[in-house]
Amino acid sequence: MEKIKQNPIVKKIGINRIVLCGVLLLMYAVFCMLSDKFVGMQRIMSALNYAYFLGFLSLGVTFVIATGGIDFSIGPVMFCSALISGYCLTSYGVPMALSLVISVLVGTLFGVFNGYFVSYWTVPPFIISMASMNIAKGLASVFTKTQSVSWPQSVDANGWYRSFIKVGNFPVGLVIFLVFAVLCSILLNQTKAGRYILSLGSNKEAVRLSGVNVKKWEMLAYVICGTLVGIAAIFYVAAYTTVQPGYGDQYNNEAIAGCVMGGTSMVGGLASISGTVIGVFIIALLQEGILALGFSKDYQLIITGIIVIVAVYADVATRRRKN
Amino acid sequence: MGDTILTMNEIDKSFPGVHALDHVNFEVKKGEVHALMGENGAGKSTLMKVLTGIYTKDSGSIVFEGKEVEFHNTREAQDAGIVIVHQELNMLGHLTVAQNIFIGREFKKGIRIDDKKMNEEASKLFQKLHIDIDPTEMMSNLTVGKQQMCEIAKAISHEAKVIIFDEPSAALTETEIEELFKIIRDLRKQQLGIVYISHRMDEIKVITDRVTVMRDGGYVGTLITKECTKDDIINMMVGRVIYEDPKTESAVPKDAPVVLKVEKLNAGRMVQDVSFELRKGEVLGFSGLMGAGRTETARAIFGADPKTGGDIYINGQKVEINSPQDAVKYGIGYLSEDRKRFGIVVQKSVAENSTMAALENFVKGLFIDKKKENKIAQDYVESLATKTPGVDQLVVNLSGGNQQKVVIAKWLIRNCDILIFDEPTRGIDVGAKNEIYKLMNRLAEEGKSIIMISSEMTEILRMSDRIVVMCEGRKTGEIDISEASQEIIMNMATREIG
Repeated sequence: MEKIKQNPIVKKIGINRIVLCGVLLLMYAVFCMLSDKFVGMQRIMSALNYAYFLGFLSLGVTFVIATGGIDFSIGPVMFCSALISGYCLTSYGVPMALSLVISVLVGTLFGVFNGYFVSYWTVPPFIISMASMNIAKGLASVFTKTQSVSWPQSVDANGWYRSFIKVGNFPVGLVIFLVFAVLCSILLNQTKAGRYILSLGSNKEAVRLSGVNVKKWEMLAYVICGTLVGIAAIFYVAAYTTVQPGYGDQYNNEAIAGCVMGGTSMVGGLASISGTVIGVFIIALLQEGILALGFSKDYQLIITGIIVIVAVYADVATRRRKN
Repeated sequence: MGDTILTMNEIDKSFPGVHALDHVNFEVKKGEVHALMGENGAGKSTLMKVLTGIYTKDSGSIVFEGKEVEFHNTREAQDAGIVIVHQELNMLGHLTVAQNIFIGREFKKGIRIDDKKMNEEASKLFQKLHIDIDPTEMMSNLTVGKQQMCEIAKAISHEAKVIIFDEPSAALTETEIEELFKIIRDLRKQQLGIVYISHRMDEIKVITDRVTVMRDGGYVGTLITKECTKDDIINMMVGRVIYEDPKTESAVPKDAPVVLKVEKLNAGRMVQDVSFELRKGEVLGFSGLMGAGRTETARAIFGADPKTGGDIYINGQKVEINSPQDAVKYGIGYLSEDRKRFGIVVQKSVAENSTMAALENFVKGLFIDKKKENKIAQDYVESLATKTPGVDQLVVNLSGGNQQKVVIAKWLIRNCDILIFDEPTRGIDVGAKNEIYKLMNRLAEEGKSIIMISSEMTEILRMSDRIVVMCEGRKTGEIDISEASQEIIMNMATREIG
């Protein structure tokens, strides 16, 4: 085992990411064995649909968790973005392109809101994101007069936005998601912003005393998260068309689970974008598998809950061993 | 000294990649104070952790009161009568003294906690130790020294037979140390075995009966304190002689320009009307007892804490410093006494920590120029002689002295001309201390100006060109090194302000 760990290629990729990939493949194999409905592209495409929006949420929250914060508003904010922009599109006749921009904008504004209060007012992230979760839900309901919003179908005049996820049988969404993941990885690991976000997640006071404007960089993490949540909303409606006000919280845990499973530490300072990507695929496959095997969505909630506990425990345990 | 109460034989312990303890022997007799010395990383803490069950030993034996023992956690060790008084105090500020002492084993009346009985028991305990503390006082209202006394009382209340003091004096004032020694002597008289871990050579001479020295995880030898000199011990610790010469004359020319002038600085209770000047190339020592307000003054100058009044001039220009960002802009760097909390980002590499204050100089387009970053970090690793396997090593894996060098590199890379060293050698072993001193002297020669806050008199007298003394938030004296002596400084540090 020690030998495998020291192998340079293994070291480069990271042992936990290799294990996660193994888990992903194993899960797929097990699902295929348990249900012949699972074999074939259709299920994979369906799982991917789930992975796209969840992936953007998870990428976003990775930045926040890297600072040592948390955001429980991502799911509801995603719905809020989709509802407000969708309502603009369907009820006010706003053009499709502009609606998509509005969606990203709403997400970003929530990011600004969360980030501002967390960094400049030092409100605990837990509290502020709980508050904005409620605000997002309420705002969406008020804006849409508690109506669900249906985005156009592929065949409709405005249906072109759906080609964000696939054209024919080609998964465009996968390409876009992976491109964003690479961009996020570069942002986190090779830019000043990412360096400061990770550093302040590890020791905020030391970074502040180095003369760095920590408030600005901490807030930026939330803003980045918000923008990605706004993008997630587009991929959600491109896959599922209809959004209802008052929901979205269930995706918080799934996004955070994907993130911590991938090796991002809940106490901040350590984050892995590639880990998050694999984590998201595992969650998406899991939900597809559970549905394919005929279980209800409730089982998925239970399993994601357990995943969060196991992943956080693993993080805590490795830290303790290192100390 | 009585019979041997504790013997550790041939204790061996390895961690992945490190042979932390190499067949170490150690024994404690009843009624003796036994010093355990060694540079940082010599294995003192590991040995004590093996003793108290925090680590499991690989081989060797521990004999306590004639029986071979193996503790699996501190609780078991405590129950047997071996207790550690930690350097960092583990007290709950919002509970009373008595509640802290009896935490986890409260006296009860039915299901209710019997505070009255706890207070009585605590009182008895304090009487036995001749300590004057009110058991009903809130812990957070006590000074660090008194809190430590409570820790000791707590240890005694476990019916300890062996007490381990891990650098107990680090945060204490001179008077508090005196009191601590009185208690330790008392405990010795009561035939307890005492292990005393400290870096302070003077204390070792005063309080201990025997000294065991460790080096690089190995046992070097045991000496009878009375029969050895300070140099003997230091020699065993580092394998070389270190001379501690005080400076006798200021190295700064009389006409050197004033780079920093502070006028009537105020910041809360701990900084009141502090004024001083710092010249180019000068090492200005800040002396005083714990709680004199020196760190608070430094933090206020640096913008780390808010000021309530006063002016700061850099090179004759009045400046506004409201945040560390401003201070860094004006070329001030602050090296905190608490490196782990305020100095370094432990999960980041040497290179990443080195460029923390000057990252904008290492950005090419949108990206960090890691090549350039690694190169400059490597340059400073070499010029400061930082011991690290590489610049990509996480600083958490470095020793205290080398972490300090990384922090110095951080400010040098930022090109700071005024450096505030707050307890620059705290927790740093003797050999590395010398290197830090040499480095500071070199920086001063190169024209950097240094404010050095230090609680160690030898350090103040050895390094400073001029000394500012503070007491209870006020400046109570200023003296050129040529006129300074321990007595004069101590006098100023305890002066009452009328």
